[in-house]
Amino acid sequence: MRFLARRLAWAVIVVWSVLTAAFFVNNVLPTDPARMVAGPQARPADVARIRQQLGLDRPVHEQYAIFMRRLVHVGPSSVEAGDKEHASCGALGRLHVDLGRSYTMRRPVLTVLGERLPRTLQLAGAAVVLQLFFGVGLGVLAAARRNTKTDRAAVAVSLLGVSAPTFLTGLLLQFVLGHQLRLLPVDGYGKDAADHALSVILPALTLGLFGAASYTRLVRDEMIGALGQDYVRTARAKGVSRAGVLVRHGLRNALVPLVTVLGLDLGTLVGGAVVTETVFRWPGIGAMSVNAMLDRDGPLILGAVLVTSAAIVLANIVVDVCYAALDPRIRET
Amino acid sequence: MRSTRARTELGPRTRRGERLTCLFSVFLFSIFFGALTGCGGGLDAPLPRAHDGDETPRRGGTLHLASFGDIRGLDPAITSDGLATPVLSLLFAGLVEYDDAGKLVPALAERWEVGEGGTEYRFTLREGVRFHDGDELTAEDVKRSVERALSPSTPNPNASFYEKIAGYENYTEKKLPHLDGVRVLGRYVVAFTLAEPDATFLPALALTSLRPVCKSGGERFTDGWHPCGAGPFKLLPGGWEHGRSVTVVRHEGYFRPGRPYLDAVTWTYGMGIVTQRFKLESGEVDALQDFSQADIVRFQSDPRWKPFGTFAPERTVYGQAMNVEMAPFDNVEIRRAVAAAIDRDHFRMVSPARTRTAYQVLPPSVPGYREDLPGRQRYDVAAALEHMRRAGYPYDPATGRGGYPNVIPYYAYKAGMTEYTAQLMKQDLAKIGLQIEIRILSFPTWSALTRRRGKAAFSEGSWQMDFPDASDFFEPLFSGKAINDEDTSNNAFYKNARVDALLANAHRELDPKARAAMYDEANTIVCDEAPWAFTHGVRWYVVWQPYVRGYKTHPILNQHVVDVWLDRESERRAAGAPGGARSGLGRALGSLIGAGAWR
Repeated sequence: MRFLARRLAWAVIVVWSVLTAAFFVNNVLPTDPARMVAGPQARPADVARIRQQLGLDRPVHEQYAIFMRRLVHVGPSSVEAGDKEHASCGALGRLHVDLGRSYTMRRPVLTVLGERLPRTLQLAGAAVVLQLFFGVGLGVLAAARRNTKTDRAAVAVSLLGVSAPTFLTGLLLQFVLGHQLRLLPVDGYGKDAADHALSVILPALTLGLFGAASYTRLVRDEMIGALGQDYVRTARAKGVSRAGVLVRHGLRNALVPLVTVLGLDLGTLVGGAVVTETVFRWPGIGAMSVNAMLDRDGPLILGAVLVTSAAIVLANIVVDVCYAALDPRIRET
Repeated sequence: MRSTRARTELGPRTRRGERLTCLFSVFLFSIFFGALTGCGGGLDAPLPRAHDGDETPRRGGTLHLASFGDIRGLDPAITSDGLATPVLSLLFAGLVEYDDAGKLVPALAERWEVGEGGTEYRFTLREGVRFHDGDELTAEDVKRSVERALSPSTPNPNASFYEKIAGYENYTEKKLPHLDGVRVLGRYVVAFTLAEPDATFLPALALTSLRPVCKSGGERFTDGWHPCGAGPFKLLPGGWEHGRSVTVVRHEGYFRPGRPYLDAVTWTYGMGIVTQRFKLESGEVDALQDFSQADIVRFQSDPRWKPFGTFAPERTVYGQAMNVEMAPFDNVEIRRAVAAAIDRDHFRMVSPARTRTAYQVLPPSVPGYREDLPGRQRYDVAAALEHMRRAGYPYDPATGRGGYPNVIPYYAYKAGMTEYTAQLMKQDLAKIGLQIEIRILSFPTWSALTRRRGKAAFSEGSWQMDFPDASDFFEPLFSGKAINDEDTSNNAFYKNARVDALLANAHRELDPKARAAMYDEANTIVCDEAPWAFTHGVRWYVVWQPYVRGYKTHPILNQHVVDVWLDRESERRAAGAPGGARSGLGRALGSLIGAGAWR
């Protein structure tokens, strides 16, 4: 428990540091978010008015203080409809979280994230499942049939998967399965749960195939290494079945590095699979983050940074916990 | 460690296996890539009309449109982005509007009179016009909507267009609670008083900013208001899925009898250009205006599709802005040399399907444009070399000796044709002894840098028409009034007393002929003094399915669909229908490669 508490405390510090860095980097860039809101052709007087309304005419340190003060604060337990002060807050009892309003969308960042995060999690989850299914499956197969045609085919397919950029794979899947065969929606998110489930398949497959390729190589190499160890020979000599050796001694050993990579991948995917989300018009965090950067939409950028950094930090904590479960030596230390 | 050992233990047989694997992978990848690139780029056939030859409009159906980008808002008081404007124009009717020919026509106002030497506009509203919520539109609603849009608490990016309304300053500086210049003279009569005659007042009024909004819009702008106006379509709750789509449905109480014909219009946003093309061909999208470079050529050259495509009126001018306050462009001869050295035809060839060469300030669709403008810029390398000599930097192209001794940084942003045209210009300028270094920035950085005094000597410039009037180009780009130390729109920092006087007089002048003469003179001076080398303009191409009837381009709006009706046989092209699956995968990548999604 102490280990977990210490890791969580560090997580808060890391996320705060990343947020602070993002805030100042975004503010020192020689750009004018008010101009981006007003549009390239707005007259300077109108831009100045928008700048003032957004609070961008204040010194940066003052803007930072306001942001941090609002980020987590105490407020009324229920926010009234006309309460402008807390209109963009997310309330957990009297504890409020407020990332402000998006400059361009003029909507609370928490609302935008609340809409987009579940969609990104849905895509990330589906992609990881497919990654594991194809990656581990092919990796085990390749390791079990080392130096055979099956092994070579698995390695070749994985090489192809790694080499093909996601936009290419996405486009191919979109064209064949969506446009020509009309088996799945070409893009979009759909209207209801059934639609969502169908719509997620192509983008998840795109990400899954790309990720699976590296997992295949990783699992294969790790398993081949493990299967050559003395204790495996001993296990075989003791009559442990081939499947038992593969799973208990080969795969289990491969899982430790796999979990590390998986954790990082999951964190990154939650931050948004930018290209895939764009190709498939998947309304997640990734596409939103890119637009926020292009528009210099500070509150939205910080919202995306918060989600991404929190996801990566938490994924790392989960990985650490999983290590202990997978490897008794780590548990003992 | 384990993997390393596993690899080092491989025997010759295994190494041969790895080589085979490698070759097999390359083979697979080649097939994969070849499948995408090698096939033809033909288009599916357009979907037929149900009643060809019958021009009687039919009511019903939903028009599906799509865009690569996304809209930012649907409140007319704060929204000015080009994608939202067609939606706003369907939700909110104006007192006056532009028709398809670019002429100002009455809309909510039945008629108007101009008096007091052009300082008073009196509008008589149509009686019985209903907002989407059923309320009748009155003069009070017009005044409330104008005050709401121009209130100092409203982040209106277009507010300054209306600064000539009497009392604007007092109102926007919170000295007075109401706008004196807008008066209700009766239930259906409203008058606008201007501080001085303003020829741009009616064109600016035709924009969406001041259009009347329902009483639910309140006296002041607030975030989260559900858009409600008196336009031909209305937005139902849930009709706008942020970041995804907008669906508007017919407003049965629209003041023009029998219109619109469509039940609904749906815009889907954030759709990739390749997907848009797929969906147009399958009939899931009914009209298209975002194209890859390759697809636009395909649509224009395919005789089946050509009758159903057209160019929208050209509304842009692009050029190379030379900061007249910074060396070497503080020397007018150098600017003239640049203007004469650039071969615009080369620029046009970068994207010939929709690029036009430009040699002056105005694009052709703006009233006052003259193809034969005296003194317009032209491509003439000999003249450019002569200007270099006069500037004190003679250059001999044969030996490469002479020219301007320093390298000039050129700032452009990463979008559209810029990366290519910058290279072409670099070659052209090298021929007269000017060396430039191309610096491509993100749009926000480019915008901030080039709008700041003393930061960028040479940069790309562009302008898109807000409304079809010459003032909309000249005043922001070339008037001394537009110069600021920060955030200037006149990024050449060009100031000429005669031009300023002409622009100020033309702004006040109500006689079109007299105005045209003033803008002609200003145009000639600007072309000669060359704060910009005008290079090109971009035209948008639109393609629609044949069953989309009554589709027209519009001088202001990208899509204007009030008169559109649908005449289709079936809702969707069936899988395997003629032309449905015959072309190859290459269309997909062919569309993407070299594409340059110019929008």
